[in-house]
Amino acid sequence: MISLAKYSLWQFRDFVLERGIAIVLIGSLWGYVMFEPLRRAMGPQWTGDQTSPVWGVALQVASAVVSLSVLIAVNGIVSGDRKAGYYRFLFSKPINPVIYYAQLFAVYMVGVLVAMLILSGLLRTIFPAFSVRNFLLYAGLIYVAMGGIGFFLSVATRYDWLTLAVVWLGSRILRSVYGSRNDWRSKAVELLPPVHKLDEMANSLIGRGSADTSDAVWLVGYGLVFFVLGLVILRRGSLAD
Amino acid sequence: MPGASDHSAARAIVIEFKNVGKTYRSLLGNSVKAVEEFSLVVAKGEILGIAGPNGAGKTTLIAMMLGYLRPTAGTVEIDGLSARHYVERNGIGYLSELVAIPPKWRAYTALVRYATLAGIPDGEIHQRVGYVIELLGLSEHRDKKVKALSKGNLQRLGLAQALLRDEKILVLDEPTHGLDPVWTQRFRDIVDGLRRPDRTILIASHNLDELQRLADRVAIIDRGRLQRLVSTGYEHATPAMTRFRIAVARGHELVRAALPQAEEAGRDEFNVTVHSIQELNSTLANLIAQGVLVASVVPEHSVLEQQFREAVGESS
Repeated sequence: MISLAKYSLWQFRDFVLERGIAIVLIGSLWGYVMFEPLRRAMGPQWTGDQTSPVWGVALQVASAVVSLSVLIAVNGIVSGDRKAGYYRFLFSKPINPVIYYAQLFAVYMVGVLVAMLILSGLLRTIFPAFSVRNFLLYAGLIYVAMGGIGFFLSVATRYDWLTLAVVWLGSRILRSVYGSRNDWRSKAVELLPPVHKLDEMANSLIGRGSADTSDAVWLVGYGLVFFVLGLVILRRGSLAD
Repeated sequence: MPGASDHSAARAIVIEFKNVGKTYRSLLGNSVKAVEEFSLVVAKGEILGIAGPNGAGKTTLIAMMLGYLRPTAGTVEIDGLSARHYVERNGIGYLSELVAIPPKWRAYTALVRYATLAGIPDGEIHQRVGYVIELLGLSEHRDKKVKALSKGNLQRLGLAQALLRDEKILVLDEPTHGLDPVWTQRFRDIVDGLRRPDRTILIASHNLDELQRLADRVAIIDRGRLQRLVSTGYEHATPAMTRFRIAVARGHELVRAALPQAEEAGRDEFNVTVHSIQELNSTLANLIAQGVLVASVVPEHSVLEQQFREAVGESS
């Protein structure tokens, strides 16, 4: 356990070099490309507060950057070691793979939050009303909700990035098609990942600093259930393909 | 099965495969039996070789021994614990057939990482890493990225990480794969140096000569089954092992006269067929007494080669 805790510094270093820099670069470029032309065009009319016409766009971009960052962070978190065969030397050492990957998931969450802290700091320079605290809260919530499912898929499949994207998009589409009907299909789609709650969660949590508790619990709970399911499969299944 | 039980009776059992089977099933329902009804005990202090043709199941067996794969039948126990449980508690020095280390890691930092995971105390990590780097001749490559290492150097790095800790069990899968002759010999010396009464070593290899030199016993497997368990010592030399190649430095005519049935096998060499090792010794004694200077005596096929050919077939 102590050796694993010490190894978390290496895991964090890996995150920074392999994913964190990419996340910050993508987020910065995205923000720059979206807002810099608008800021120039609006000139002195640009206020950057909640009454600004671009405030809603800022929330949408911030929310999308969080989703993309989580996708980048958990992509191959378990399946990568399996595909490349790195598990062989890692787990011949006296460590528990379940704790190793649970720790990796937590370390990557810290990494995502640090990246979001940097990006929200940059965003605040043009949107002074943007709350870093609320944004980090939202990022943490989405990391658990979406990352938990990503973690499960990384344990269960080799193509987790693709699978997560299909699950995420598929859930949105199926919910929009069957969600409002009054038959068994509307009940069935309720079991799908609660992606429909993300937009409202972004608006309420990042924008106003408050969110519907049941929505937050539903999102976090859904992610946690899949995360734990991933750990159970890791414990009971085979490390090798 | 010669040697199958006498070793375990004399020494404490460390590793036990009990009727182990592993069947791979595809999503379409096709199944392939990689290992079937495999039972074997390995004693403390023993060096056990695992030999078999490609696809015989060697790597699958090792993966089950490390707990990377779960058997579909039977159990693998190490020191009375399930394999995975043992590894998580104690660790095993393991060199895999394919050395997979992230290509961007540098050789030295890779070893520091593995040493951290192995639980080596902070104060000893650099000393221990320095020792294995020196032992495996990696000093000039220590700051290179893994992707910049040659196959042989990568293999040595793999072996270095397996030797970081003073492990009670070492598992080496095709350890000399990719090594040049100098390092192949050096590897043999290293393994000889690792032999200890409380350390058990498993070596899977295609190289029968290597196993003959290093192992106490060799499990010959084919099509996922244990075919034979062979003691590599000559005390169990079989009647089949009766052809020897004798090289002489002096007295060729005397050999031809004393052994008219001997076949000339090149310059200074004769192939001689005898019925036993005793007959070989008395023949040599006679030749030497007559003034023949014997340079070397080598069995045409080692005990292991002969057993392997019989168990697996000439085609392998």
